[in-house]
Amino acid sequence: MIVVDGLSVSYGAVRALQSVSFEAPSGEITAVLGANGAGKTTLLRAISGLVSPLAGTVSKDGDVLTGRRTEDIVRLGVAHVPEGRGVIAEFTVEENLRLGFMIARGSLADALAEQYAIFPVLGERRRQAAATLSGGERQMLAMARALIARPSVLLLDEPSLGLAPLVTAQLMQQIRELCARENLTVVLVEQNATSALRIAQRAVVLRVGVVVANDTAAVVRDDENLRQYYLGMVE
Amino acid sequence: MARVTRSGRSVGLILTAVAVAIVVAFSSSTRLALALGLAVAVLGVGATLVSLPAVRRGHPVATRALISVVVVDLAILLTFRVSATSDSNVAIGAAMSIVLLGLSFLTGSSGQISLGNGAFMGVGAFTVGIWADHHATTPLLAVLVLATLAGALVGLVLGLPATRLRGPYLAGMTLAFAVAFGAILNVFSSWTGGDSGLQLPSAVVAPHWLASFFGPGASALATSSAWLADISILVTGVALFLMANLFASRTGRAMRLVRDNDTAAELVGVSLPRARVIAFTVSAAYAALGGALWTLVNNSVSPSTYGFVLSITILSLVVIGGIGTIPGAIIGGIIYAFSAGAISWLTAHLGLNPQGNVASQLDGIIFGGLLVLTIVFAPMGIAGLVRRGWRRVRHG
Repeated sequence: MIVVDGLSVSYGAVRALQSVSFEAPSGEITAVLGANGAGKTTLLRAISGLVSPLAGTVSKDGDVLTGRRTEDIVRLGVAHVPEGRGVIAEFTVEENLRLGFMIARGSLADALAEQYAIFPVLGERRRQAAATLSGGERQMLAMARALIARPSVLLLDEPSLGLAPLVTAQLMQQIRELCARENLTVVLVEQNATSALRIAQRAVVLRVGVVVANDTAAVVRDDENLRQYYLGMVE
Repeated sequence: MARVTRSGRSVGLILTAVAVAIVVAFSSSTRLALALGLAVAVLGVGATLVSLPAVRRGHPVATRALISVVVVDLAILLTFRVSATSDSNVAIGAAMSIVLLGLSFLTGSSGQISLGNGAFMGVGAFTVGIWADHHATTPLLAVLVLATLAGALVGLVLGLPATRLRGPYLAGMTLAFAVAFGAILNVFSSWTGGDSGLQLPSAVVAPHWLASFFGPGASALATSSAWLADISILVTGVALFLMANLFASRTGRAMRLVRDNDTAAELVGVSLPRARVIAFTVSAAYAALGGALWTLVNNSVSPSTYGFVLSITILSLVVIGGIGTIPGAIIGGIIYAFSAGAISWLTAHLGLNPQGNVASQLDGIIFGGLLVLTIVFAPMGIAGLVRRGWRRVRHG
């Protein structure tokens, strides 16, 4: 479980987040929604220590993460798949996965086999350069690289970006299954509110750095106001 | 390489035995016998290694060891065929390859830049000079290790602030070190000999037992320059092997991620400052090792050698050879080995006055020209060109 309490982040004079508080329970997907520039990506970056907040704390199962270095937060089981995925195009699928395994213990072969079972297409292409993968496959690779270290928290930044609707639907289904099976805490940042709300249990809506809604996904989905003004979901 | 049968091993053993027999039989005889013996030995050792199960299964470390051994053997064979002046050029080029390996790792893998690797070479070079002044009898290997460690230490100290600097700022800091290096040497002139530098007390020669084993005819061991060429090639082989493993190691892969996407690197748990310091230290250590060999080959060390121009030459050679690749560093070293000869040949054939302005700047002109051509036509350097050509041949 991730608890965000009164989190404020500034970039110089620009306030990106303004005392944001919410809880993301284990075994559930918490969707973070909002327009461009609402502070969604900043929120994930603050959780994984890539930016340090002005005020407020983030904690995971009672451990305070705020103030720790990213490399240590990652070792505490917080996996962050950044927007744009960050896989190395010239490396093979397997080499990319081995990068993710650096902080893990145990058998690499077992861990690889496990990821290839979840994402069979990666197993088929494990000797291919990541450059040859499609957008959806690259997103799977980025997720597999995050999962291979057996995290308990998964932060996903716009996984559907640039993917075809059908591929997005499959990916979302996979995220949901993973979350339930591994009892993961998933924080899912999405512009694509419709597909995110379809799989999420909870939803947080941001508007220029302020939380305007924090409720179950069902409530947010059915709130006419939110749909129209913040989520751009028009009938 | 994977399709060698078990008979490969027996063939290898037989060839090795034949090689030993030839060398022993002709041990009082000529360089040619030695060359022949070594050639057969290369084949023998090669065949033995190829048939080793580890290489057959495609074990990368064994394969890299095999490649290093073959490269070293071929290069040493070359020294049996060349003259004394060429011998020292080969040695200088081999040592330069080590320096280029270091910078290639820093720039190609971790994405940092250094304009100070000429000065890091100087650290190794002067370590050898100063040490030899006081402890002339220290074994060669110990001196080389010492110089490498000295380079690593200086690299570490300079690398710590470098973790906070990027791009042009880092280039500026390393440039400052390159420019300041001569002045620093002058401050400690009682040790470093000031502007005139240091002379080694005695030339490095092959150990007595080795020379007497091969007999007086083995002129490759009898002269200092041939022996040093062999030593340099051998050390380059070891450096090559270690670097090939480092490139492919966990650390090497993590470095590549630091270069391409530092956020992603942090998110897989890489400590950016640590990765940057390691890359800087390794690169400085390699430079110092190359510089140490230079001092042995020249039998002296002078501060003017390790000026700022050398750092620029090093960077140019890395780019021309192929940045971030191991063959690229070797190609750069070979180019450097032959550049002195090529430039004096050009000077003579263009009818330039050897003491004139143009002649003294000719190497700068040529390296600069090559650098521009490389960047425009082959951004991945000669190694990249070769690789592209090879792919075209294979896939039609």
